[in-house]
Amino acid sequence: MSPKNNIRILELNSSDNEYLHKDFHGALCYGIKYLDQTYGQDTTAEYLKQVGRETFSPIIAALKKEGLITLERHFKQIFELENGEAEFKCEDNCLVIKVSKCPAIAHLKSKGQLFTDRYCETTVNVNTAICHAAGYQCSCEYKPGEGKCVQKFWKKDDTK
Amino acid sequence: MISCTEFIPAYSELFKFLEQKGGKAAVVSFWEHLSDSFLNNLRNIATQKGLAGCFEYWSHTLSEEAADFKMMLDEENQIFTIEMRSCPSKGRLLERKDIKPYHVYCEHCDILYRRVLEPLGFEYNIDLSNCDKASCKLVVRRK
Repeated sequence: MSPKNNIRILELNSSDNEYLHKDFHGALCYGIKYLDQTYGQDTTAEYLKQVGRETFSPIIAALKKEGLITLERHFKQIFELENGEAEFKCEDNCLVIKVSKCPAIAHLKSKGQLFTDRYCETTVNVNTAICHAAGYQCSCEYKPGEGKCVQKFWKKDDTK
Repeated sequence: MISCTEFIPAYSELFKFLEQKGGKAAVVSFWEHLSDSFLNNLRNIATQKGLAGCFEYWSHTLSEEAADFKMMLDEENQIFTIEMRSCPSKGRLLERKDIKPYHVYCEHCDILYRRVLEPLGFEYNIDLSNCDKASCKLVVRRK
């Protein structure tokens, strides 16, 4: 930053910073709350599934081709980047992710931003849409607001 | 969880989804709601510090978004400008060949921030004529 004749200038290139704007979690939270209140919870689920299908198509393609390692790699990368905490276990063709610190919920709470108990439906619906498109199934058990959950993923024909 | 690094395509998808539900009016209603409810941090800092608050607000957000920009605050003439050379949000959407951004994605920046700053006594102008290249120019003046 360079102050000169009462003029302050800040000039940055993309490479000067890491792309990590956690307040986007808050914007998504407001989006979910708005859809819930304006259109109802079924519409929110419809939107989140559309997000899964339309914006995670590279993950869907990789999941079809490479299997569960795709999801393990993807979520490990996210949790490392956003400083979350989770245990990953892949056994008997089932990937289990035990999240002990959801980075999104941790950020929202630390900043005092809006948190809706329905936020974790993002995980439920986006994961469902990705898995459905790739021939997999999943579950997500969570208690609203705890920032903890257990996510499981398995191939459609397998019973878990 | 959607990572914050994956949010922008989901945001664009929300605008498309709302338009499917209720036309562009439904999208604008959401933008107005988001401005009123989510942007209190900008509203508060601009109220307290004026254009210096705008400088502070966008210094933080655009750094976290790894934007390519030049921001200027002329305190004497009370003008604040952002020359966005490469918007990280629109740029990322344009990079993705597998998704089509919401057709007027960049208009959200006009409505969201105008709605905060104009009631505080600022004149707000944004040139979106180059937004198909992920570039724009914002000028905010004290009236």
